[in-house]
Amino acid sequence: MTKNKNKKLMRGNAVVGEAAIKAGCTCYFGYPITPQNQLPEYMSRRLVEVGGVFIQSESEISAINMALGASVAGARVMTSSSSPGISLKQEGISFLAGCELPCVIVNMARGGPGLGNISPAQSDYFQATRGGGHGDYRSLVYAPASCQELADLTMEAFDVADVYRNPVMILADGMIGQMMEPVTYDNYKPREIPPKDYILDGAKDRPSRIIKSLILNPHEMEEFNWKLARKYRIIEKNETKYEEFMMDDAKVAVIAYGTAARIAKGAVKRARNDGMRVGLIRPITLWPFPSEIIYRRAASVGLFFVFEMSAGQMVEDVRLALKGESEIYFYGRPGGIVPTPVEVQRLITRQYYQKGLI
Amino acid sequence: MIDKYAVFVPNLTNRAENFTSGHRACQGCAEALAVRHVLKALGHDIVISNATGCMEIVSSPLPLTAWNVPWIHVTFENAGAVASGVAAGLKVLMRKGKIPEKRIVSVGMGGDGATTDIGLQALSGALERMHKDFLYVCFDNEAYMNTGIQRSSSTPYGAATTTSPAGKDSIGQHTWKKNMAAIAVAHDIPYVATACSSYPFDLQAKVIKAVESGGPAYLHVLSVCPTGWRIPSHLAIKYGRLAVETGVFPLYEVQDGKYRMTADIPKLRPVRDYLSGQGRFRHLTDTDIDIIQKRVTKEYDKLISLHKSNNG
Ligand SMILES: Cc1ncc(C[n+]2csc(CCOP(=O)(O)OP(=O)(O)O)c2C)c(N)n1
Ligand code: SF4
Ligand SMILES: [Mg+2]
Repeated sequence: MTKNKNKKLMRGNAVVGEAAIKAGCTCYFGYPITPQNQLPEYMSRRLVEVGGVFIQSESEISAINMALGASVAGARVMTSSSSPGISLKQEGISFLAGCELPCVIVNMARGGPGLGNISPAQSDYFQATRGGGHGDYRSLVYAPASCQELADLTMEAFDVADVYRNPVMILADGMIGQMMEPVTYDNYKPREIPPKDYILDGAKDRPSRIIKSLILNPHEMEEFNWKLARKYRIIEKNETKYEEFMMDDAKVAVIAYGTAARIAKGAVKRARNDGMRVGLIRPITLWPFPSEIIYRRAASVGLFFVFEMSAGQMVEDVRLALKGESEIYFYGRPGGIVPTPVEVQRLITRQYYQKGLI
Repeated sequence: MIDKYAVFVPNLTNRAENFTSGHRACQGCAEALAVRHVLKALGHDIVISNATGCMEIVSSPLPLTAWNVPWIHVTFENAGAVASGVAAGLKVLMRKGKIPEKRIVSVGMGGDGATTDIGLQALSGALERMHKDFLYVCFDNEAYMNTGIQRSSSTPYGAATTTSPAGKDSIGQHTWKKNMAAIAVAHDIPYVATACSSYPFDLQAKVIKAVESGGPAYLHVLSVCPTGWRIPSHLAIKYGRLAVETGVFPLYEVQDGKYRMTADIPKLRPVRDYLSGQGRFRHLTDTDIDIIQKRVTKEYDKLISLHKSNNG
């Protein structure tokens, strides 16, 4: 392996900040909440150096709506928070979707509900993938599992948000936000971005524009909803991402994302060492969900072992994807517990033998 | 005069400890001290709605608690709203004869972030509705301390925090501290006061007056935070005094719209005495300090003239 000289050891939260800046983000609006505080801190220093604007708002509601304002003005913009703060942002995210405005939103999730704790958790899956706010809309959701992926997906998120004029969420957790790994920003391949012919920047010498999500006539509203739905179908077709690991001959497919997928990968390797045919499917986009590959694998896989750091949320999407074609075993650790690969492997092994998959 | 007796404060007031020791506040935390004094003055017939923040976090790692009074932890931005609901709920239960008629004070409490930033809307609603037996206490340590010293709108001009870093091109916080007490006064409520845990008798007297006013009442308590201000942990009381003696944080009350200065400061000390020695201000230049001195003098003079015209 050739050593990449451009690799730098950085903390997850700072990686998001640097990746955003590398992708041309000039506006960041944030608010303190653990475990994402290093991100606003990083931006408060770094954005000044590149002539951008950092504002610490007076609430998360204000931060997401400042982001909406900057997006309307045509800037590349990001906001971030952790679970309770993301709840407060939901109305704003719905407005972003309704106004078809790009914005990158980062959730370094923690245990909940309520104030919960500050340990890594995956209990915001429903909120992130079902829209979260009100109305018939979707946000594209990336689930990075390493600092490198944080960098790559954050940069891509800005392009994807602009291409589809849609909010994009990075859903990670305190573990990924806090850990340090070497990263490079060289993987970024900027996409072609359609001209921003919708922004509000004064109307001298051209007709003025209006951006709104209020559509009182239900027929027009329906038309608009179908327009959004068509856009979402295109996103499903073009943007679904996943990783398969040792799946070729797998009898058991572990399905996990983000931090849980890292643990699962360790468990899969251990199981392989013990001679079990186990593989991993790791959704990288949670919406759109990689349903197709999961369904296809049902032909050869005897058991889908879903592992989440929640009481069971993504497992519902797996169930929908499988259309009853295969059995599912769910293992969840909610509340901020981070299990070890050994623990997960033990359960995989038990299932493997109980199902007679030898 | 007070100085001589300060050390005996716990003996000279209500001895019951309703905010008990064993909580996890940092060594020398004067915010915890402020809470302790406020609770001594409030007694037992209260319900506290506590916004997220240092005082909530350090006092309630279940199954342990430092609270000997009814207490609920609420969303960061809603101490004012939940305390309003508690006041309304108690009122209707008394009206319907479900619980005995007596004064139970609904106390909302939060830090400066919870009060002057994210919770301002809920607090303003509560004050505007004129809830009876309602008290809101802001424990102002001049930043979001629980999350690691981020600026708030109550952070003073020139202070370095993790999101208002001081450097070549930055003085740190570049806006002036929001005057939260004045905002409360603008709601025309019966009682508003500023206080500081370095003046415990004054603080407790104001709590009692606030309750007696019938409410709604608002207390703004400067709460020195050695961790966030970067001062040695044994100097919290001293810096609270210096804040008052330099006029940086004047102690006063506004009863039915009438201003009264409550600390006897014959001659203000220069603000430099207060600023020096605090890590968060160490980068300030003489010019910066002059700017701060001018502003402090101007604001203090405004209060003095209000005091004089109301007590002339
Ligand atoms: C909606 C929401 N946003 C952010 C937070 C994170 N948070 C918890 S405590 C805190 C800081 C509290 O600051 P302050 O109110 O000044 O109290 P202090 O800790 O300084 O006493 C923050 C930002 C939260 N719990 N909920
Ligand atoms: S950070 Fe400051 S306010 Fe919070 S417990 Fe420590 S000293 Fe007290
Ligand atoms: Mg504070």
